[in-house]
Amino acid sequence: MYPIIVFSVSGLLMLFLGLSVNKKSLLPYNLLFMLVGLASNFLDWNAPGLYFNGMLEISNPIILVQWVLIFAAILVSGISSRQFDDTHAYPAEYYAIMQFALVGALIMVSFQNLLMLFVGLEILSVGLYVLTGSDKRNLRGNEAAIKYFLMGSFATGIFLFGVAMFYGATGSFDISSGNSVANNLLEGKMFFWLGMVFIFIGLLFKISAAPFHFWTADVYQGAPTVFSAFMATIVKTAVIFALFRLAAYSFNLEYENWSKFLVIIIGLSMVIGNVTAVFQTNFKRVLAFSSISQAGFMLLSLIGLGAQSYGNLGFYSLSYALATISAFGVFLVISSNTIVEGRPSENINVFDGLFSRNPDLAIILLISMLSLAGIPLTSGFWSKFFVLNDAAAKGYFWILILGVLMSAVSLYYYFNPIRASFKKTDLGKIEISSLSKYTLYVCAALTILFGIAPNILRSLF
Amino acid sequence: MVSQFGFVLLFMIAGIFLVLLVLGIARILRPSRPNPEKNAIYESGEETEGTAHVSFNLRFYIVALIFILFDVELVLLFPWASVFGDKALFDDTKGVWAIYAGIEMFIFVFVLALGLVYAWKKGHLDWIKPSQEETNFKSPVPKELYKDINEKYA
Amino acid sequence: MHFLEIIKNLSLVQWAFYFLSILTLYGALGTILSKNPIHSVIYLVVTFFSISGIYIMLNAQFLAAVNVIVYAGAIMVLFLFVLMFLNLKEESTEMKTSPMLIAAVSTGLLLGLILIATIRKAEITRVNYNDFDPNTGLIETLGMVLYKNYMLPFELVSVLFLVAMSGAILLGKREKGESHF
Repeated sequence: MYPIIVFSVSGLLMLFLGLSVNKKSLLPYNLLFMLVGLASNFLDWNAPGLYFNGMLEISNPIILVQWVLIFAAILVSGISSRQFDDTHAYPAEYYAIMQFALVGALIMVSFQNLLMLFVGLEILSVGLYVLTGSDKRNLRGNEAAIKYFLMGSFATGIFLFGVAMFYGATGSFDISSGNSVANNLLEGKMFFWLGMVFIFIGLLFKISAAPFHFWTADVYQGAPTVFSAFMATIVKTAVIFALFRLAAYSFNLEYENWSKFLVIIIGLSMVIGNVTAVFQTNFKRVLAFSSISQAGFMLLSLIGLGAQSYGNLGFYSLSYALATISAFGVFLVISSNTIVEGRPSENINVFDGLFSRNPDLAIILLISMLSLAGIPLTSGFWSKFFVLNDAAAKGYFWILILGVLMSAVSLYYYFNPIRASFKKTDLGKIEISSLSKYTLYVCAALTILFGIAPNILRSLF
Repeated sequence: MVSQFGFVLLFMIAGIFLVLLVLGIARILRPSRPNPEKNAIYESGEETEGTAHVSFNLRFYIVALIFILFDVELVLLFPWASVFGDKALFDDTKGVWAIYAGIEMFIFVFVLALGLVYAWKKGHLDWIKPSQEETNFKSPVPKELYKDINEKYA
Repeated sequence: MHFLEIIKNLSLVQWAFYFLSILTLYGALGTILSKNPIHSVIYLVVTFFSISGIYIMLNAQFLAAVNVIVYAGAIMVLFLFVLMFLNLKEESTEMKTSPMLIAAVSTGLLLGLILIATIRKAEITRVNYNDFDPNTGLIETLGMVLYKNYMLPFELVSVLFLVAMSGAILLGKREKGESHF
């Protein structure tokens, strides 16, 4: 609850700091605000309950997820160092909008009322539409922004329609009211089902699960890389937890009905995401399709929906965030050193000879790719293991087999950059700012730590 | 048995009907002899040129957007105005309600006002005027001549 | 003949409702079908007005007024601005036989069919006129709900507006070297 207030205020402060403070000292301020937000979350610890007339729910697992979100935002700000130094960048606005978007994300993991979910979703989405198009000189970025905006607002409309139907069926926006119509006859439940389907579709769109994934690759590619990382981690985490809350509190009695349709979506996401990623040459597109398949894996915990599922999902989100942010971070450093036709090259061959140019980065890339692929000794392995285990417990064995198969496919494209980085090259060393270096070290270290001892994190939930 | 909204509806229907009536009478009475001169767009006597659809300056859009935000804010003030002085609630809470509602609205308006201040400070409300350039052109006619003429016929 | 009987027995309220619904649909279809984007905007205004009429029939007068002021007024002006600086002249996007159009139409029709089928099956509880609370939807009731129960979302809406404002300022600022269209 407190971080929501902190980030609302700090976003405003950031806007005004941009008027008086020089550009380069904005990042430390941003990190400071984020740390304050992280710390303010302690105030809610061990004070579970509903706040603000039943608008927000606070409990320790929710606070942990909020930490994951804020921590991911800190890492994203960490890799953004030196990225906004040129004259056309407006770091104050970017950081302010990032903090506001974080407000939306934090609401989305702790809402108790569908109206709050809507407000959170809108704050998050509007912020991201703007960030996607923030590099105005990039035509692709403009296209991505307009695409994301049109598709995203359409999805929000569908979601809102579902909320209206939910309200019509239950007479309340409270998420626990979904259970009150559970015992109704078929006729009375029609609106409820309609609402459920539309709410699911609207939110599945936002995490880019398979039939609703069309925008993902273009948007990830067009958006500035820092904001692609933000989108891949924070938006996905926030929306998946919103979905989880709805699945667990509003629609849990309808499990039989939606799980069948969700399983198909999961299968589609895995297949489409992984198979399409194989054919991509642009690294950002590879990560976009990878994020589609990872969304499929994340949704598995909704199918599981057991006592451990929330923790598993939290573990998955954090390990995915660590791996994705380090992949984007390494890519960001290298691509801004490889200018092709006046723009940073985004082709996968920028990684050529990375090991001889900067061995640290090559190893971090290796760890993050292994983690994304789900190789043992990285946190990615355990995260996939836990969610697949969850789904298998509910008897969906074919999705387990499909998941393992698709992880094998994913090895191909995750190993491409690794192969490239061990090529011989005569290009010079790559310099990296110390802040992004330490950020990447932290990501890699945590990935390995949670890969060796996953229960450190998992026991907290 | 006509409700208040029924009256509004009747007024609207009557309004539309009367306008149509007046225009209809005019149509019957007036002679209709169009020619190109009459059909031309009236532009204060100037000949019109090109299309009216010209590209607007983007600044209009920003100003319009800021206007809409404050328009919506104003709309949200209306329900507030109708309840913040609610006597029953005021008595129930021994006046705390008024303070609570006041603070609530203050935060809302304050945040948006700060947004406006930010836009102002950033210079998005100023209009960039085209800068006037001085030319090195020297007129063969001395300035005094103009002055003399002006004074003579003043 | 059964159909004619139904039409004969329509009450005044039902007449008003059907008139407004048909007007709404007419405006909505006009919006997407007219070639000239300015005409689309005018049709959209028609839609908003008729939706306002439906709001009044639902006893939500404040919402009706807001709909006219904000949507039919301010937002339409914004739409016109966008059309003005997009500078659309003759270049209309021809979508006559595009497979995209067919796909979109069939998806839309399918969705509409599903909705209609569901709503036909749904059990609709009718409101009893006699114990209907006439204060529902009035501005005081709305204020009570908005400023007592929904205090937090209300405050957060200001954050939403702020994001929108700073975003518009960020994107609307002209840059040197920015591509113009």
